[in-house]
Amino acid sequence: MKSQNKIWFSILFLAATFTGHSNSWAVQVQIQPGGYDLDAIMRVMTVITLLFIAFVIWLAVVYSEKNDNEGRLFKNPLSNLKKYLVSLQPIEKEAEILLDHDFDGIRELDSRIPPWYSFLFYGTIVWGIIYMMVFHVFGNGQVSSNEYNQEMQQAAFERQLLIKSGAFISEATVTQLTDPAALSEGKEIFQKDCVTCHGQNAQGVVGPNLTDDYWINGGGIKNIFRTITNGVPAKGMISWQTQLDPKKIQTVASYVMSLHGTNPPNAKPPQGEKWEEPKTDSANAQK
Amino acid sequence: MHVEKFSYDNQIVKQFIIATVIFAVVGMLVGLIIAIQLYVPELSFGIQYITFGRIRPLHTNAVIFAFVGNMMFAGIYYSLQRVCKARLWNDFLSQFHFWGWQLIIVLAAVTLPLGITTSKEYAELEWPIDILIAIVWLSFGANMFGTIIKRREKHMYVAVWFYIATFVTVTVLHVVNSIELPVSLFKSYSVYAGVQDALVQWWYGHNAVAFFLTTPYLGLMYYFLPKAANRPVYSYRLSILHFWALIFIYIWAGPHHLLYSALPDWAQSLGTVFSIMLIAPSWGGMLNGLLTLRGAWDRVRDDPILKFMVVAVTAYGMATFEGPMLSLKNVNAIAHFTDWIIAHVHVGALGWNGMLSFGILYWMVPKLWNTELYSKKLANTHFWISTLGIVFYVIPMYWSGITQSFGPVLFNPLGMLQYPNFLETTLQIIPMYIIRSFGGLLYFSGLILLAYNLVKTAKQGTFVKNEEAEASPYDRDADKLKRGMIHRWLEKRPVKFALLSVIVILIGGLVEMVPTFLIKSNIPTIASVKPYTPLELQGRDIYIREGCVSCHSQLVRPFRSETERYGEYSKAGEYVYDHPFLWGSKRTGPDLAREGGKYSNLWHYLHMQDPRQMSPGSIMPRFPWLLTQTLDTTTTATKIRAMRSLGVPYEAGYDRYANIDLAKQADVITQDLINNGVPAEPDKDIIALIAYLQRLGTDIKVKTTATK
Repeated sequence: MKSQNKIWFSILFLAATFTGHSNSWAVQVQIQPGGYDLDAIMRVMTVITLLFIAFVIWLAVVYSEKNDNEGRLFKNPLSNLKKYLVSLQPIEKEAEILLDHDFDGIRELDSRIPPWYSFLFYGTIVWGIIYMMVFHVFGNGQVSSNEYNQEMQQAAFERQLLIKSGAFISEATVTQLTDPAALSEGKEIFQKDCVTCHGQNAQGVVGPNLTDDYWINGGGIKNIFRTITNGVPAKGMISWQTQLDPKKIQTVASYVMSLHGTNPPNAKPPQGEKWEEPKTDSANAQK
Repeated sequence: MHVEKFSYDNQIVKQFIIATVIFAVVGMLVGLIIAIQLYVPELSFGIQYITFGRIRPLHTNAVIFAFVGNMMFAGIYYSLQRVCKARLWNDFLSQFHFWGWQLIIVLAAVTLPLGITTSKEYAELEWPIDILIAIVWLSFGANMFGTIIKRREKHMYVAVWFYIATFVTVTVLHVVNSIELPVSLFKSYSVYAGVQDALVQWWYGHNAVAFFLTTPYLGLMYYFLPKAANRPVYSYRLSILHFWALIFIYIWAGPHHLLYSALPDWAQSLGTVFSIMLIAPSWGGMLNGLLTLRGAWDRVRDDPILKFMVVAVTAYGMATFEGPMLSLKNVNAIAHFTDWIIAHVHVGALGWNGMLSFGILYWMVPKLWNTELYSKKLANTHFWISTLGIVFYVIPMYWSGITQSFGPVLFNPLGMLQYPNFLETTLQIIPMYIIRSFGGLLYFSGLILLAYNLVKTAKQGTFVKNEEAEASPYDRDADKLKRGMIHRWLEKRPVKFALLSVIVILIGGLVEMVPTFLIKSNIPTIASVKPYTPLELQGRDIYIREGCVSCHSQLVRPFRSETERYGEYSKAGEYVYDHPFLWGSKRTGPDLAREGGKYSNLWHYLHMQDPRQMSPGSIMPRFPWLLTQTLDTTTTATKIRAMRSLGVPYEAGYDRYANIDLAKQADVITQDLINNGVPAEPDKDIIALIAYLQRLGTDIKVKTTATK
């Protein structure tokens, strides 16, 4: 096979691979829409493929010039194109294009504007016109609010799937955990997020004491779970539902309940009402 | 032909050079301090005059208007005289310009730490200084045009075109963006509100970069680079093309600072497409610079001046490619509000402006003092230190930008934010801040070497105050306009040239602003949005005074990751009473657009006293003086009246009893604080600030559907 044919074959091969891949990517993206990583991978792969193609074209240019110099085979049109796009006036022949301008000894050349530069210039203008048309005349482009609505619909859809799968615990279904692993996880969250207001030992600082019998918003796992989830903004307790997932709220609530009666030093005086566990739940809680 | 004898004014150039070096040291030192404050917040020692929010604008103003400003005047006054073959038009005007400019700088250095600010980026100075700036700037323009008109050179050189564009455009930008209603000698409100104010401000802000940091420096490059390289300018045709394209297109690109904001979509798109179109015109300058060095590359190896210039022009090329890329919406979505932008502007500032300034100074000072550079070796050391400094500065900032971009947008498998607490990202990037300040320190050390080298050079030479020169006046016979020679013809007509420049730069601004101001549908009004209460208004002014906007945005973009974190995305109609707008451009801390009601009054009180009490690890400075400083309520009535005349619908005569409402609201907040166990007093600054923060974003309550 002649060498130039090899080159054209490799270009075709790469182009075919590229097209094939982009199809299969598109399929994958459709299966798992909004998949952040797939999108990114697709973009990277596209860039890499394009770089490969560019590399082969570059090889073709270099290779053909070599053949050309030896007076054999073919003269690649690309070499002319390259010369046309980027070549500069040889420095020895500069005098031919020296203008008669002289500003404090500064001279100016009448060099042509490199065509690659002109293409870049006019190309971006054409791109700009197309962009404006797509977004604001034909309306095919996504303006920001459309983009947002689509993103939110997708998220709502995924959330429905999660709810069906039972991944979410709610106030109605939450139960107190007592196993040491869960409690130590709860303790970790408590130390990170809660101690600034409730104190190192839950003795109460800005927020109330969590170790006594008195609760402002009700004791027991369900009430505590609700208070952490929704917060009580008027009283300064923020809502944690965007920061902690329900499982984590369950563990931290369970940890808080496990602190009951620990009598830490410097405990804040009781606030709220004395909480008594309803009969049916108390058996459960003492288990 | 008869030859006239005259002299160049070197004295004024010398003055501007000295000012350049002094303010470079000052401006970069302040930069270094605020860079360290970002990981050692205690470096402000609880002193209000040196907190980040107040001295960050001092840094930007000092490097832009004091360092680059003085350098540009030095370079323009040196080169203009020589390419026009004429002494500066009026020596008094030169001196007036010099001392006026230094006075402005001193006033800025005093007022900004005092918290006297409009809060509009790069236009922070208050109205009396704005007027002074206009006067001094016009004196510079008059002096320049006088010189051009009495020139002995027939044509205006390309450098002069850039100087003219600089002058006319900065005049327009400064005047339009500074239209404000004074309420006292040190306080004013922007006449524009919300979205419109944002559009005007970023039309200004973007073009301050274009016409204060770029066009004058391109002019300087066109003089000093061919001089230093002793080579002809590569392409005259390219000069013409890229000059006109640059000044026409640049003006349009401002809205790329407001992508995904409440600005109408069509205006955002214009910002994007014109930024992309800007690549080629910007690169025209780089090409002409680099190709002028053809045949002189062997000298770049051992000539520090050329080295500085090559890095400068390359940095210019990089920054002007990165800028358009950042204007693409998908790139902007991740890079906006992050340290990526800090890296980007410092490639421009340290690379383009800094390195070109150094190259020019090393070239110009020996010429003025009629001697050789004191130490070429030291200049070479300076070059390497600065280059390393830039690398150590920008690479950590890119990393930190990427961290800030990709951390907060991650969702876990349960569809919740992976890093819901803003502070988590902040703590990750602290090592980057440390390395960045090391880069800054390197760059700053290089500057000290430059100062030393220049002083030594001056000492060994003798300064020539008035440099003798001679030239013959040009033949003023009007020549006919010939086909293919239009630009040659124009180059002989400075006034027509300037007028044409004005027309060219006005188009973009008009097309974007007029519809945004006149067409109602561009800013849909929201009935539930009400003016601020007097206490909130006072609190807002404290927010402005303390420079909170330096680190906190007030703009939730329409992304799930942002609405999940902050709440409903921002609507144009929410900002209609915001004179000025406070959207901010950087999130060193979290967005505050929906801060109202998120935390208790007590939380804010303790958080201002010492942020680390409430958020361990926070890098926010302490604001203890807010707890002790008494709120000035004597201004309330004037402020309400000013707002009324700007169209904010307070009822007539409300200014008379505004303070009664103010006291009532302050009492409610104070009582709540006291109930929660802190000794709050109703007449302190903190109460007003809390009132404002609790109001933010509460006028519209929209439930986010996805999470509930």
